[in-house]
Amino acid sequence: MKRLLTYLLVLFLPIILVACVSSNNSTSTEGTNDSQDNESTDTEQEDTQSADEPVELTYWYWADNSEYSNLMQDIIAEFNETNDKGITVIGEEYPWDGGGYSETLFTAAMGGGGPDVAAFKLTSTPLFTANNLLAKLDDYIDSWEDKDDIEENLYDIMKSASGTDNLYVMPWNTQVLYMYYRPSIFEEAGVEVPTTYEELLTAIEQTTMDTDGDGNTDIYGFGMRGATGGQEPWGSFIHGRGGDFEDMTSKEAIQGMQDFIDIYENGYAPPSATTDGFNEIIANFKSGKTAMTVHHTGSSAEMVETFGDDVSAFAFPEGVGQWTSMGDTNNVIFESTEHKEAAFEWVSYLATGKGQEDWTIATGNVPVSTRVQEMDHFQNDEFMKASIEGVPFAGILPIKDTTTEWISTIWPNTTASALLGEITAEDAMQQLHESLHEE
Amino acid sequence: MRRKNINIWPYLLVLPALLIVTFVVFIPVIEAIFMSFQSYDLRRPDKIAYLGFRNFADMFSDPIFWLAFKNTIIWVVFGVGLQFLFGFILALLLNQSFRGRGIIRAVSLIPWATPGVLIGLMWKWIYDGNYGVLNDLLIKLGLLDQGITFLSQTSTAFGSVIVTIIWQGIPFFAIMILAGLQVISREMYEAADIDGASKLQKLIHITIPSLKNVIIITILLRIIWVSNSVDIIHNMTGGGPSYSTQTLSVYIFNKATVLDLGYSSSMALFLMFMLAMVAVPYLKNAFKER
Repeated sequence: MKRLLTYLLVLFLPIILVACVSSNNSTSTEGTNDSQDNESTDTEQEDTQSADEPVELTYWYWADNSEYSNLMQDIIAEFNETNDKGITVIGEEYPWDGGGYSETLFTAAMGGGGPDVAAFKLTSTPLFTANNLLAKLDDYIDSWEDKDDIEENLYDIMKSASGTDNLYVMPWNTQVLYMYYRPSIFEEAGVEVPTTYEELLTAIEQTTMDTDGDGNTDIYGFGMRGATGGQEPWGSFIHGRGGDFEDMTSKEAIQGMQDFIDIYENGYAPPSATTDGFNEIIANFKSGKTAMTVHHTGSSAEMVETFGDDVSAFAFPEGVGQWTSMGDTNNVIFESTEHKEAAFEWVSYLATGKGQEDWTIATGNVPVSTRVQEMDHFQNDEFMKASIEGVPFAGILPIKDTTTEWISTIWPNTTASALLGEITAEDAMQQLHESLHEE
Repeated sequence: MRRKNINIWPYLLVLPALLIVTFVVFIPVIEAIFMSFQSYDLRRPDKIAYLGFRNFADMFSDPIFWLAFKNTIIWVVFGVGLQFLFGFILALLLNQSFRGRGIIRAVSLIPWATPGVLIGLMWKWIYDGNYGVLNDLLIKLGLLDQGITFLSQTSTAFGSVIVTIIWQGIPFFAIMILAGLQVISREMYEAADIDGASKLQKLIHITIPSLKNVIIITILLRIIWVSNSVDIIHNMTGGGPSYSTQTLSVYIFNKATVLDLGYSSSMALFLMFMLAMVAVPYLKNAFKER
């Protein structure tokens, strides 16, 4: 019995000690808690009265390369220095990782460790709004002096993405896909810039060349993207035949898929196309292995750096239908942030302020601010011109709760099966339709 | 009557570790078991409900699941089997006396010490159809006219990733078997020499039986690790093209990352039972006293 009591004493002694220490800590941190309480009171005041208390915001973003990474840090530094509301933005960069960024952001937000503001893709909207993670921006935008500087249709696209009448996403910049091509290869092949979908298919065939006569293809007509992200240029082929995403089993959509398969099977695209992603299509184009590839203005600077004048662009040409993918990069404010008004200051700086100019000029993305669009820099750029030509028929994939999985695994694997001849175009389109539109 | 004296010290000492394991392992596993019986899909949070065995029924009628299951068997049999074979050969070689043995032993450990993500990226570039060093070598040796797109064709992709996991696992087998080799008594070999045993006879009758327990535990550990391995396949192919490299663990990972946690949990539960079915009888028989 005596021994048992000794053991119990040994067991409880540390607990008692820990309790004493905790008690001391709670006493000593009462002051801190008080200050936190004061801060939250101040926050409430800030939200209602715009008091200029110092506010710290965490901002998550991704950057396609180290140059853009530095650029964003510079924009943040300038905002922190110039805003007169005591707002300090702390930029935290995460890799895009083929869409993995959105998953990381979601997991962090669900776990309570997310940022106050984040760069965001529209496709993730239903997931985030279904879990009540995003702040509604309607009231902020209605009373915002720059509201009309952004096209109304952009707000509409943002609203449609959430499936509600509310606005949760603040436009920042867009990327309209177009076709890059090499004028010297076109000249060598005797091909003009295609003005119709049929001419494009012919140009892809004719620019596929064996330049050294060894019997092997040296230049492929089209840098096809079969990995995640390839659904965007693929969509242009589907629409080129008159198909659409609402009914992918239509004969027009199947014919578009057949065109896509034929390009691969006939050897007009590199054999690695089934798994080629962004890095591969850009590397193939820059090394002269492909004559054409689809991307947006985000790559134009490095293309010009590589080829000088020997690279140009055209909007995806019209067939029975015409479509190109409008990529988007936006910003969201999280419902959990205590500083929504300060957060809106920051996202509006990126949407129409100096941040919009700096980011879009350096990255070559299409500005959402009409004031910035009208600047000479954008009016005189041939890649921007191809983007702007694509705007009237640009669109996005239907945003459903199935879209993320459809993009990340279903589209690449189903399309690879079709390209490799394991399933027909019809079967592939049936599978793609069912998996995107399943309830 | 003398009262039984209970010594609580062992329980006290085990308690912290037990608490950590409970929170880090047991509770998440139990949660995953509950999720596997629900439509726990965070893309549709309003539709989360108890489903009974529906996830399992869906799983057994899912052709991609069966393809992943078949791939897992191939992945484990060839991956672990060839790791063992080459690891054994390497261990026998490293057990010989030769100049620079210490350096060779250290260098041979590099694949095992390299993170799986890095191995995936490295081999992805080695295999690259346009710029990969493997194609470059084969073309320069005159064995190929044009590069092979190893990871882009269903016929070559899975074999290519299996070679990668074999490369990674050989040192682990080698080092474990080497440790086992070094505790085998020299006297047994000397006695065999006196009896006129050949090298092969010594291998079959002395070396392999003496290494039995090491081999069993190493193979078992590798079966579990390789079955659960995601990093290499995920980084090299993501499970494609056309699901040809998708094992069960990669399928579970892909489903979990699109937040279909119910379905991925049910597959994870299935994989856990499959591994338990292999591990438990294997260990039971292997260590049974004869």
